[in-house]
Amino acid sequence: MTGYPRVVPLGDSALLAILGEGVGVALSARVGRLAGALRDLAAPGVHGVVPAYAAVAIHFDPLAADSEALGRQVAHLAAAEMAKPAPDATAGGKLHVLPVRYDGPDLAMVADRLRLAPDEVARRHAQLTYRVLFLGFVPGFGYLGPLDSALALPRRPEPRRRVPAGSVAIAGEQTAVYPVETPGGWHLIGHTETVLFDSSREPPNLLAAGDRVRFEPVS
Amino acid sequence: MITVLRAPPFATVQDPGRPGHLEAAVPRAGALDPLALAAANLAVGNPRGAAALEWALGGGEVRFERGASVALTGAQVTGTLGGRALEPLRVVRARPGDSLVVERLDRGAWLYIAISGGIDVPPVLGSRSTYLPGGFGGLSGRVLRSGDRLPLGTEATQARLEILPAELGADTSSNPIRLLPGPDRDLIPPGAWDDLVRAEYRVSRVVSRMGYRLEAGSSGLVLAGDRPSAPACIGTLQLPAGGKPIVLLGDGPTVGGYARIGAVVTADLGYFAQRRPGDSVRFRPVELTEARQALREQQALLDRLERGA
Repeated sequence: MTGYPRVVPLGDSALLAILGEGVGVALSARVGRLAGALRDLAAPGVHGVVPAYAAVAIHFDPLAADSEALGRQVAHLAAAEMAKPAPDATAGGKLHVLPVRYDGPDLAMVADRLRLAPDEVARRHAQLTYRVLFLGFVPGFGYLGPLDSALALPRRPEPRRRVPAGSVAIAGEQTAVYPVETPGGWHLIGHTETVLFDSSREPPNLLAAGDRVRFEPVS
Repeated sequence: MITVLRAPPFATVQDPGRPGHLEAAVPRAGALDPLALAAANLAVGNPRGAAALEWALGGGEVRFERGASVALTGAQVTGTLGGRALEPLRVVRARPGDSLVVERLDRGAWLYIAISGGIDVPPVLGSRSTYLPGGFGGLSGRVLRSGDRLPLGTEATQARLEILPAELGADTSSNPIRLLPGPDRDLIPPGAWDDLVRAEYRVSRVVSRMGYRLEAGSSGLVLAGDRPSAPACIGTLQLPAGGKPIVLLGDGPTVGGYARIGAVVTADLGYFAQRRPGDSVRFRPVELTEARQALREQQALLDRLERGA
């Protein structure tokens, strides 16, 4: 159970290829490269290849795909990925600067739990340039990392029912902007007016995997 | 064209959804009870993936501006068409000017109203399904309101069926929901999986097209630790640290951070979604082979309807 890669089912309509654990730019780069190889495979019945931090999900129509054969192909590609040197994860990528008002409803609680002043939470959050590791959760939601480990906190034990669009949030070693109103379990430390998702725009997502993001405090 | 004379509390346009955009983090959306949608469409002579009304939480009224065949599936209703009482499973013909009045939903959460020709709103990213969090698809990406007018497509020559088979009217509210183990099942202490799946749950008041949160009857299992976000799927059973499981549905996220301890089998997603807040939910652990077999049986039923049998 401990070795990687591992290929396991995610229900009856998806497989997971897991390449490691944790959050890291190098691991994300591997996961992204495997996702590319899986898309190129264009296996019958597969309608989505979704990378995350440490794993790629391969979504398929259970009536149209041969999941056993697919599992073997995925295992083969995942093993081939692990046999290669890690890709260069330091290469450029488009830079987005997002203005943020650090006045989120969780800022005081976050500061308290981290034993930092609220201004210091904001300063540390705005200090780094983050990599868009992948897109997921809801349209336009880019997982940005890695976060300053001094800001790492577990998620809320129960998600909020409504997180307003534009909320700038942290959880664990990740940060993100909620592009649309949705339930969510991250801590809300600020707000941006930048529109991250617009279905009438082409492409609808502002961020793409591999881009870089910096937050600029505004008052 | 149809006109929504009196909108129910919650109704949207849905088809089977847009499966091809998950990597852009666009959820599939689509009917929460896919079997009910497909059967209703086939009954009125539509392709099984035509767009229909997905209707919840109460009554309302819709007027037909042209003649159309109409099938109602999913939730069982009391209502009338052109003043005549609706009978369960019977496909009806609306004349121009007729009103479909849904007085109430007697059983189940989601009513599907398929109309010959289908609802012809413009597809967005390959589907007519409304995705509310993104504000697109369906009619302007929102729930239907009184006064809305919805275009219909050209109808096939005639309805395929006069009456839908009894399976589609069966009461599934006490069916155990079949569950596969999830990729994070190993996070649960040994033995706890059995307790967890045998517990009786109730659907909480926190329900939406993204997913339903369950109230744990007895389990009270609390997971230590927190994990980086990882891929999730429609049907994924998440266990947040608070101990109240969440089952993800059509508008659910493509990734999530809570432990994915199980997965509702695709064939049972509709039966699960038809439960209302307060309804009981019991799970039954199964193997992949049973999950696939159940889905093939549903497909065989739809194939039979398509042949008009």
